Amino acid sequence: MPELKTEHSTSRLAAVLRELAVPLVSVAIAAIIGSIIMLIAGFDPLAAYAAMFKGAFGGGRQIGETMLRSTPLMFTGLAVAYGFRAGLFNIGAEGQLFMGGLSAAWLGIVLAGMPRPLNIILMLVAGAAIGAAWAFIPALLKAKVGAHEVITTMMFTYIGRYIVSWLVTGPLKAEGQIPQTNRLPVESTLPKMHEMLPFLTPSRVHLGFVVAIILAFFIWWVLKYTSLGYESRAVGYNPWASETGGISVSATTIKALCISGALAGLAGVTEVMGVHMRLFDQFSAGFGFTGIAVALLAKNNPIGVIAAAILFGGLSAGGGTMQLEADVPQKVILIIQALIIFLVAAEQIARWVIGWTDRRGATEHAG
Amino acid sequence: MDAKFRKVLALLLVFALVAVFAVGCGGGEEEEPADNGDGVEAPTTDVKAAMVTDVGGLGDKSFNDMSWEGLLRAEQELGVEIRALESNEIADYEPNIDQLANAGYSAIFTVGFLMTDTTTAKAPEYPDVVFGGIDQFFEEPAENQAGLLFKENEAAYLAGVVAGLATLDSGLDDRINDQNVIGFVGGMDIPPVEKFEVGFIAGARSVNPDVEVISLYAGSFDDQAKGKELALSAIDQGADVVFAAAGLTGLGSITACQERGALFIGVDADQYETVPGSGDVMLTSAIKRVDTAVFETVKAVVEGTFVGSENREFGLAEDGVGLAPYHDFDSAVSQDIKDAVEEARQAVLDGTVTVPALRSEL
Repeated sequence: MPELKTEHSTSRLAAVLRELAVPLVSVAIAAIIGSIIMLIAGFDPLAAYAAMFKGAFGGGRQIGETMLRSTPLMFTGLAVAYGFRAGLFNIGAEGQLFMGGLSAAWLGIVLAGMPRPLNIILMLVAGAAIGAAWAFIPALLKAKVGAHEVITTMMFTYIGRYIVSWLVTGPLKAEGQIPQTNRLPVESTLPKMHEMLPFLTPSRVHLGFVVAIILAFFIWWVLKYTSLGYESRAVGYNPWASETGGISVSATTIKALCISGALAGLAGVTEVMGVHMRLFDQFSAGFGFTGIAVALLAKNNPIGVIAAAILFGGLSAGGGTMQLEADVPQKVILIIQALIIFLVAAEQIARWVIGWTDRRGATEHAG
Repeated sequence: MDAKFRKVLALLLVFALVAVFAVGCGGGEEEEPADNGDGVEAPTTDVKAAMVTDVGGLGDKSFNDMSWEGLLRAEQELGVEIRALESNEIADYEPNIDQLANAGYSAIFTVGFLMTDTTTAKAPEYPDVVFGGIDQFFEEPAENQAGLLFKENEAAYLAGVVAGLATLDSGLDDRINDQNVIGFVGGMDIPPVEKFEVGFIAGARSVNPDVEVISLYAGSFDDQAKGKELALSAIDQGADVVFAAAGLTGLGSITACQERGALFIGVDADQYETVPGSGDVMLTSAIKRVDTAVFETVKAVVEGTFVGSENREFGLAEDGVGLAPYHDFDSAVSQDIKDAVEEARQAVLDGTVTVPALRSEL
């Protein structure tokens, strides 16, 4: 009996390792190809990676910077991953993020003078709600008339971005020359983490990082242990079987896309409350889209999203040091990111094809 | 077998990708700043000057590149060690400034109005570093901080004089029609662009009071399709000279002029030089000398004459803005037009004309 038990646990470990292998190998290949590119372009890849690592993890301030940059990617990564688990491709996380940011920029001013904990909770809840609302119409269209969410969420991204663009140049514009909203009062902002962890001084990382980590574990729990999560996954695997099994596919689709939208909305809220303290046109560096890459690399696992987001955050944070110390242009970071995405995506495609041929083989045998 | 084939295919694709990137990188390399002088013996100083680009980065053919030009000149003429750090995203602004300040750079230029807040936050943190904010207006600049702004309206005023007279002069080019209409395409409706628009209108009206100026805004600086569409609609309403102050958006307006037969006035740099193949429509350009502003500021730091706590405005008098040559149109543009431009320039310089900067002042 004990023997059997160890065998069981090693095979579980092996399974976990197998799952981890694909993303880890992809990142390694991307790093190698990245160094070949740097060599061809006349840069020293070892110096570049050393500087990049130093800039991302070389001290409290660098670690804080990496955490700061991974925060929005965790939210959007979770958003996209949750959608994928329910068989939905929420390509419009960017739009939901913008609406979340908008709600924070507006509500933060309205709530001026109120106690800080209350403001933080209200603004987070409101941002999640408007993110969900922004996903609700595409979700409804998907559930009721079958309009594809890739089209509709993307279109809603344009609408959201242009609404923000209009508001920051018009009705919500602050005094002065720059198209941006007024600065949030301090009671409407997220505390910096170095206030609690002096080790991180003087980095800019804010409490949103902790919120993101907690949410990742919460979403993992929802997916694994709740009926809501079970239904989402079931619909993602096979909507027809789920429908037959008594799950309402349209209700589950709506719920899943709204949850996804809520998570993306939080990315916008925490960027406004923690980083910029105000809203302007370019406050998001395409976090909604990078979130797709994060979810892919994490293989839609909420805990994996934490790791993938920290990797992307570290790449982004290390880029500046790499540029200064190794003289490698910052754009190389974008190339490495693109390579990782490409390799992970290619693997997913391959797996899907294998899975599909296997299934077809199985049905032919059965027939 | 199948799986093996797929692996080989994946590998091939990866190599193809590498090849593409390698070519891309090789091409881009020339645009990267070299961080040391080219052996030209320059006077030495321990001042080190650097810039942080906005997300457009180097190679934007606009204010990032022109700031770099200013630094290059400082390197050659003053022996200053120079450096540029690019920003991939807004989150890079602050760490880039920190990196440069900690690496001993004593003059740091931040490029673009998006960096206004960051520059203001960082200036008190590094009191020994001089900060110059390109296109940034500071409410209460610190002693080591100066906003570097431009009188875009003065450059546009001269461009307006050219356009206002050109649209009446059918002898200039057969694309000039008999309607008294010219066009303006703006990027985003922000103060520097408004100054371009207002100066252009004022200049045109000063020589041609009845001229109709069609002003259109694209809402972004990187939407060439929109820039083309807006210019086409202006041309269809009779405009035969179009002035675009719209960054990359304006490149679409150039295409529109080429396709629909109108003349174009460029912006920021001499676009005859920076936009290859635009010579057939490029009448002139309203230039904003970001390089001059950067160079003059570095020079002041080197000579110990830098004065902070202010927003400096560079206009015609400071050689901070100006009008580009007519290039291919030099013989077509009549002496009357050239004289009128010279007259307008003198009038601005000696103060007999104050060019409006706001729509409300028109």
